[in-house]
Amino acid sequence: MFPALDISTSGLAAQRIRMNAQSSNIANISTTHNEQGEPEAYQPRFVIFQTDEEVGAYGAPGVRVSSVEVSDVEPIWRYEPHHPDAVKEGEYAGYVAYPNFNMMTEFTDAMEAARAYEANLGVIDITKDMQTQTLRILA
Amino acid sequence: MLTNLFSSTTIPVLEEVAKFSQIRHTTLAGNIANLDTPGYKFRDLSVDEFETRLQEAIEASRRPPDPYTPNQNASSEERLHAFVAKKPHTILYHDKSNVELEQQVAQMVKNHMQHNLALTVMNQQFALLKTAISGQL
Repeated sequence: MFPALDISTSGLAAQRIRMNAQSSNIANISTTHNEQGEPEAYQPRFVIFQTDEEVGAYGAPGVRVSSVEVSDVEPIWRYEPHHPDAVKEGEYAGYVAYPNFNMMTEFTDAMEAARAYEANLGVIDITKDMQTQTLRILA
Repeated sequence: MLTNLFSSTTIPVLEEVAKFSQIRHTTLAGNIANLDTPGYKFRDLSVDEFETRLQEAIEASRRPPDPYTPNQNASSEERLHAFVAKKPHTILYHDKSNVELEQQVAQMVKNHMQHNLALTVMNQQFALLKTAISGQL
């Protein structure tokens, strides 16, 4: 019975990490500086899920985040010559690199993560009820 | 003496049902946890097969034990809990996963009710035994 709780918890944790990545993406939709303060468009993060047989039991696996990948998509170039981050010379002179991802996609992904989180919570409720019922035999 | 006491009731059968539905619950929980895992194929325990084997086991327990094949009942438990099967007969999504949330939740609720049904009946059986032992209503 207890493996079921662990499995659902692994699902909750994985979905929460995914939600973190998405809120980070949405928060940084206009970020044109990297951590070092250099002009560089923010690259969206993707969370990769993987089955985790260590958490599971009876052949039913849990889930874990195997890695958080940074996309290498070409930024959106906008012509803003007076922007401090504008490229000074070359092909893209006068252009500013903006993050290239779709806010709609991020929001729908976030909704999906929230629903999956709820589904795991529902499973936890059922597991708890089954355990309570089982313990009631003793009473 | 005690074995006879319990085998005159359906408690051993209900015990197997409860055990089966608990393990099946774990597999279904694994499916829901892996809703968004690319390439994950859902896993399940076959209820039909469990019921068939339980039926066989009940019939076998009613027959008098055969002295030439010892330990007939010892292997019954491992026969009841069959392996986890992967079912390919569903829609495959573009991420090569085939878990459908609605289907899994429905299975889980059914399994939950079956589990609670078995336990409720088991509790009633225990109450009956208690009444019989105490000799008064």
